[in-house]
Amino acid sequence: MTEDRSLEAFRDEVRAFIRESATEEIREAGRKTTSVFAPFKQAMAWQRILADKGWVAPSWPQEYGGTGWSLEQRYVFAQECNRAQMPPILPQNLQMVGPAILGFGSDAQKEELLPRMLSGEDFWCQGYSEPGAGSDLAALKCRADRDGDDYILNGSKIWTTYAQHANKMFALVRTSSEGKPQQGITFLLLDMGLPGMEVRPILGLDGAPEQCEVFFSDVRVPCANRVGEENEGWTVAKYVLEFERGGSTMGAWLVPAVERLREQCEQVDELGQRRLDDPVLARRLEALEIEALAVEHTEKRVNAGLKHGQNPGPMASLLKILGTEVMQRFSELQLEVTGLRSLVYDPGALEIGAAPSDFSEDELLAMPYYMNTRAASIYAGSNEVQRSLLAKAVMAG
Amino acid sequence: MQYQYTAEQQEFRDSLRRFVSDHYDYERHRQRLAKGEHFDAGLWQQWAELGVLGLALDEEYGGLGSGLDDMMAVAEELGRGLVPEPVVPVVAAARLLASIASPAQAEALLPSLVGGELRLSLAWEESASRGNPLVVQTRVKDGALYGKKCAVLGAGEAQQWLVSARNEQGELLLLLLAAQPAGLRRYVMADGRAAGDIQFDGVPVDDSAVLCRGDAAERALRQSVSESLLLMAAESLGCIDSLLSVSGEYLVTRKQFGMPLAAFQALQHRFADMFIAGEKLRSLLWAAFQQQGREGFHRAAAQLKVQLAESGRYVGQQAVQLHGGIGMTDELNVGAYFKRLTLMELMAGQRDDHLAGLALAS
Repeated sequence: MTEDRSLEAFRDEVRAFIRESATEEIREAGRKTTSVFAPFKQAMAWQRILADKGWVAPSWPQEYGGTGWSLEQRYVFAQECNRAQMPPILPQNLQMVGPAILGFGSDAQKEELLPRMLSGEDFWCQGYSEPGAGSDLAALKCRADRDGDDYILNGSKIWTTYAQHANKMFALVRTSSEGKPQQGITFLLLDMGLPGMEVRPILGLDGAPEQCEVFFSDVRVPCANRVGEENEGWTVAKYVLEFERGGSTMGAWLVPAVERLREQCEQVDELGQRRLDDPVLARRLEALEIEALAVEHTEKRVNAGLKHGQNPGPMASLLKILGTEVMQRFSELQLEVTGLRSLVYDPGALEIGAAPSDFSEDELLAMPYYMNTRAASIYAGSNEVQRSLLAKAVMAG
Repeated sequence: MQYQYTAEQQEFRDSLRRFVSDHYDYERHRQRLAKGEHFDAGLWQQWAELGVLGLALDEEYGGLGSGLDDMMAVAEELGRGLVPEPVVPVVAAARLLASIASPAQAEALLPSLVGGELRLSLAWEESASRGNPLVVQTRVKDGALYGKKCAVLGAGEAQQWLVSARNEQGELLLLLLAAQPAGLRRYVMADGRAAGDIQFDGVPVDDSAVLCRGDAAERALRQSVSESLLLMAAESLGCIDSLLSVSGEYLVTRKQFGMPLAAFQALQHRFADMFIAGEKLRSLLWAAFQQQGREGFHRAAAQLKVQLAESGRYVGQQAVQLHGGIGMTDELNVGAYFKRLTLMELMAGQRDDHLAGLALAS
């Protein structure tokens, strides 16, 4: 009981902070987020505000800027940010490269890079995938050859989200073709815009340049920018995946999102009708809410297990599959609810600060969100790969 | 029982396919849409010269006097080529006009439709219609028109609009109006085609605009909308067939984890299910075609639309998934077919709307 009460007090504190500190522009960006990647400028502005408060990296160790919150508090924080429709913090700094440096970085790297990651002074992009190596990262070919105290990079990277906004990149590169493919990979840090580097944005299905391709032609990177040992980048990458153990908060997004969709269905339209009075739609909303709750409580159950020292193991794959697929079903129902009013393609109206359009934000968002969300079952290890991992782990007993 | 195109229709279809692949290759399509060119008057003229615009009209007006199956063949190729010009809506509207026009009106309008000089849009869909063209809130009151039509394909390119409305007695009217920019909210749809919502705030309508009323208007409109559903299904089959062919090739050639994707049983089964989804739609398309002129036609058309929603969504989503990241980009045609299928799923009544209508009627 005491624990619940203190958690509710914490919830009130989070709510009050959001209410007082989020600017109108940041709120607009949160509402107009059609992806897991919020509009860049406002997401970084919100990151700065959270960093100043000391709340930006709940999962980091406290000595490096973490909050020291319990897993329950972290979940409450995520719930309240989502309920207030704040733009999600871009994961590259705090959930991807940060843990790599925390786990394997040199003291000099930690001292120089971690504070700039938290504040958002640096923005990092992820150079993992390549045209021939998506979910199969061991197949990556982008080469780093030793030349004195430098590596020389040749090759390309793809699906580097927001590379056009980044000033830094963390990359997995091939330093050896001997032994198992995973064994010749090295984790490197580099500045964007080095001579020989080129960034090409790729338009997505929603018409937005969220992804990029990055080309390297004899790009020189000092060996001091390596994280961990040469040829042991795979170990660093795996550590990053495990760092966020219990960090999955998809349910904290889904549950309020379903609530908002229900509110949309409760509105009376120009003919005096409510969509919610359609019994078929009402049932489908109920079913979606159950799915969202299944995600939330599976996440909380995994977190509860962690407190007792259990390892999430195959549950990490389960959470990836479950969370992303319920998110996709949510996007389908949202699109159906919006119906004919979601046909219009008007990307300009989704820009932050755009003059009000003839169509509401809900109407403009449904289609791009539906399109963009198809990527959820592809990114971060496709759901096919996750299912294979899950089956293998569980069948073995 | 007809379940496939005749040899002659197949030949016509092949020639259209060549025309479409010559003029609508994906790269050019992409560049056109990026520049905001949704309608090409030169290409429209070529569609007229091919006879497509007059396909479904009588020979006395310059048409070819063909049937719905010929138009289905055309629609398949339009889907395959992601053609943004509103060929199907214009042809379907012309067919409706021909069925209700007086001889004098037919003589005045149809030859210019066949020739491509006159473009017509049928505006029937409303936010509350949900696939049922007889649910009409648009009203004629004291000689003026009030109401709003949604998602009218080619509304901005049309010179004349065919509009459904009810009078103060509740009687259905089919009106022919000169297209007017006032009240038209043009937009580009997510798949790059142009459409519009039309708001009527007291547009004057006199008796000469009324082409047809009452039961005759209801019959003609329902017939036209059901025919359009068959054409949409044919168009979506063109998209689905293309997605199957692109995805099949990708599975065979793309390697992951040291083998072609086609070697993974989970993906083989997925592909088989996509193929099955396409064949179900093809079967129901021909089944609906066979019901033409019979009592079961509207029911079969609604059933077909349900299948279109299911097959289109499944094949579209899975084609993107099988392609991975590259399927999420604008650079590959996979996403473009997926978008067109998604829009067809939402227009002219969604899956649940048609299921509800079917359940009520039986």
